[in-house]
Amino acid sequence: MHIPDGILPLGLTLGGWAVAAGLTAVCLNRIAAQPDPRAGLPRASMMTAAFFAASLIHIPVPPSSVHLMLPGLMGAMLGWYALPAILIGLTFQAVMFGHGGLTTLGVNAVILGLPALLAFGVTRFLGQLRQRAAAAVLGFATGAGAVLLAVALFATLLLAGLPAHLDAGAERAAITALALAHLPLALAEGMVVAAVLGFLRRTNPEMIIAR
Amino acid sequence: MLSAIVKPLIAALLLAGPAAAHGAFVEARNVAAVAVDARYDTGEVMAGAQVSVFAPDNPAEPWLTGVTDADGRFVFAPDSARHGQWAIQVRQAGHGAMGYVTLSADESATITVTPASAAGLSWAQRLLMTACVIWGCIGTALYARRIRPAKAA
Repeated sequence: MHIPDGILPLGLTLGGWAVAAGLTAVCLNRIAAQPDPRAGLPRASMMTAAFFAASLIHIPVPPSSVHLMLPGLMGAMLGWYALPAILIGLTFQAVMFGHGGLTTLGVNAVILGLPALLAFGVTRFLGQLRQRAAAAVLGFATGAGAVLLAVALFATLLLAGLPAHLDAGAERAAITALALAHLPLALAEGMVVAAVLGFLRRTNPEMIIAR
Repeated sequence: MLSAIVKPLIAALLLAGPAAAHGAFVEARNVAAVAVDARYDTGEVMAGAQVSVFAPDNPAEPWLTGVTDADGRFVFAPDSARHGQWAIQVRQAGHGAMGYVTLSADESATITVTPASAAGLSWAQRLLMTACVIWGCIGTALYARRIRPAKAA
């Protein structure tokens, strides 16, 4: 889900930067308002590293392959730190691996950051759930839903910025095929988020409740 | 009566000339062509990807559009009268890259690939970079852990 340089028109690229800047400002304000803003930094650093490396892990889905994205896990684990962490991770991915681009950094941050923040919003209520099964289902839905939302945002932005000289039908078919290839990834990331949140509920429940 | 129909018909056939004939000619000549090989960074070929070729004097409108074949290949002959940097964009489902061909005045084409491409990185390089960044993050984590008790004391 990395849109490279030169694919989107200038308006969408600038719009992506504007939205990403606004979201980052909100997140940084919320972090600064916490009693100890530095408390979340070690976890944010670790998750940024995991997020950065995740794009290198390809899961073969015939006829192509998809890579891990982790928006749900980032949101569930990091809360308001998720968006700055994703922004930093995406910068490194673009500079070091050529995944995505610097002009499209804003757009890519929105594509992954919005689902992460929504995942954070959903998992905030997990602490109030008494039943383990219900919490597991909600955790799974959070992880899988975040991937599906990211794919939907990716496809919508691409189709909105499709140049007139391209064969729209062929590109739409290719985007649909790519989106369908992400269904197994959504299931996998849903299970990962459910497992991680289930583990935290047992061992460290204050991490889920106190945010 | 009959001549009223036949005469215009003969006249029409005579006037139509070459268009009515089925003769065809094929001429073959040498031109300088550019071959584009499109791949994802996983090594997989970009088959059926859309190609847009932009001439140096008009970077806004594509000079030629086409589709890569099953091997991710697309071949075209640039207009030898248009010297300068030709841009070739290959894209498929939002993924893609730009390639550049410089056509000099002596009609010899030199090909340079966009520096943003990560195709030149070996796995060892990637592993080293990943290890460096992960270590940087662990270092940050250790640093943050170290200052917390000091602050509490």
